[in-house]
Amino acid sequence: MLKIRNGRDFVGGVTMICVGLLFIWFGRELEVGNSFQMGPGYFPTMLSLLLMAIGALIIVQSLMVHAEEGEPEAWNWKAYFLVILGPVGFGLLLSGLGLAPTMLLLIVGVATASRYANWRHSILLGVFLSVCSVLLFTKLLSLPVSAFGPWVPLIGELL
Amino acid sequence: MDIFANLWLGASTAFMPMNLFYGFIGCLLGTAIGVLPGLGPTATIAMLLPITFGLPPESALIMLAGIFYGAQYGGSTTAVLINLPGESSSVVTAIDGYQMARNGRAGAALATAALGSFFAGSVATILLAVAAPPLAAVALNFGPAEYFSLMVLGLVASVALASGSLLKAFAMIVFGLILGTIGTDVESGTPRYVFDIPELYDGLNFVAVSMGIFGICEILRNLESEHERSVGVKRVTGLMLTKEDFKRIIAPVLRGTALGSFLGVLPGGGAMLASFAAYAVEKRVSPNRAEFGKGAIEGVAAPESANNAGAQTSFIPMLTLGIPGNPVMALMVGAMIIQGITPGPNVISDEPELFWGMIVSMWSGNLMLVILNLPLIGLWVRMLTVPYHLLFPAIIGFCCIGAYSINNSVFDVFVMAGFSVIGFALSKMRFEPAPLLLGFILGPMLEENLRRAMLISQGDPSIFVRSPLSLSLLIFAVVVLALVLSPSISRKREEAFTE
Repeated sequence: MLKIRNGRDFVGGVTMICVGLLFIWFGRELEVGNSFQMGPGYFPTMLSLLLMAIGALIIVQSLMVHAEEGEPEAWNWKAYFLVILGPVGFGLLLSGLGLAPTMLLLIVGVATASRYANWRHSILLGVFLSVCSVLLFTKLLSLPVSAFGPWVPLIGELL
Repeated sequence: MDIFANLWLGASTAFMPMNLFYGFIGCLLGTAIGVLPGLGPTATIAMLLPITFGLPPESALIMLAGIFYGAQYGGSTTAVLINLPGESSSVVTAIDGYQMARNGRAGAALATAALGSFFAGSVATILLAVAAPPLAAVALNFGPAEYFSLMVLGLVASVALASGSLLKAFAMIVFGLILGTIGTDVESGTPRYVFDIPELYDGLNFVAVSMGIFGICEILRNLESEHERSVGVKRVTGLMLTKEDFKRIIAPVLRGTALGSFLGVLPGGGAMLASFAAYAVEKRVSPNRAEFGKGAIEGVAAPESANNAGAQTSFIPMLTLGIPGNPVMALMVGAMIIQGITPGPNVISDEPELFWGMIVSMWSGNLMLVILNLPLIGLWVRMLTVPYHLLFPAIIGFCCIGAYSINNSVFDVFVMAGFSVIGFALSKMRFEPAPLLLGFILGPMLEENLRRAMLISQGDPSIFVRSPLSLSLLIFAVVVLALVLSPSISRKREEAFTE
């Protein structure tokens, strides 16, 4: 009887096969050509097939070899959510709010992912890093992003 | 002698006040980052790379190299003082270094690490200066077939030296290679996997990708098992070594340097593997082997020399062949491309100032590190007390601005966020991120050379075995693979990584 002996590897193998399928599917319009004159689709298609083959081998292995006993996984969904959403929010708000407020929001937002965070520290750190990043990036390295964007008109006009 | 003229040229570049300054900044930042646990050199270099965009190529690469070997130094400081290796390559240093610190000999341990590293760095730099030009000269005759085989060898070897499952490491390489095909196909101009997103026509940006899978992903993992570090560090005194100490460290430093210089050239975990191997060797051959684990000075001297030598010689394949052996070198290749330099054997002849300047700067950087580290040790100790809950938001902030500044576009920030999710999911399934990045960087080069070789041979794959050079490279790759797969070696490999 086949039994999944290493669940983590089984999922890993299946994921690799899915990735291979995904790239083959989205690359289906690319011309593959032949080995003499390879089209743009040749290399990615071959690699996707190879990845699926490796994925299959990983699955086979997961059916034969037991998983080693490891530490139980700790999941911290709140932290994942905040840390990943932070940069996305940064990207969405940057042009509108400008660097300084976006940075402050980002820092204060992601800092709450830690169970040791406290508001006073986070806000101080956020203010400090906003000032630093404005000085370093907009003044010194002259990135094309202003300290305050169009969404904060008052301060923007003052500066 | 040619080499002296070259080194003179290098010195005149490296000792320019501006380059000395950037080298110094690099060493300083690198040490600081190395000291801070939870932030590896790959993530650091990715994060700081955008700052160097505005610099001239020499200064940019000198600074990045400084960050890299500065991080090696800094990592050993934390290993000795609080038994917390800042970098993977100083894991073994912690064993005896921390014991020495507990016996009140922290100063001696740090001095040993600094002097051993300096010696090893100097030797490895000379080695680099001597070995690189002839290697590059050989590589100049490489055709597409040889390049393809060389890259295959590099990828295979990096898998062999990685920890964990071989199959999974291969999967990561292939995944990385596929990700490398995203963007406009160079030969035909056809867009691939771009989904009509204009930013994707140039491909995924490797800096954003590596910040995601190394920088942000590390934070996610650290937050899972977050606990406040209580750092009880005493003042470090007694930096001077006794005569007896010197006598004991000479042989281990020499052995560590030799081993590290050799292992560093190999693709994969260069510096880390070197320090593990050096410690294992020392444990067998040292006359004081009974003291190992209880604070033997040899147990600090050997791995520290080895990891620094390895870090230095890992530049050899990158500078001479344009092939990165580890993720840090992959970022250096990326930095060169951004600076408009095509990495490869031509760098030595086309950009002698850059090449020799970098080599000499490695030596001067090592000297700076010794001068920097020993007196400033108090400052580094103080950095250890920065709590992680203040550190990680700052890292995320810098990654965001860094990603934005690559192309002045928020698209790269989203790419970074996306790859932090991918990297994290992969790490949950125990896939290593390093081979993925290596595959991603080498992918376009691999494809281009494969297609050119096949065009030359009119679709006959035997071109890869007809050229003697290409054939020997492929045979070497097969041998490496066979060695890793053979049961006895794989058992040893497991031991080495679990030790």
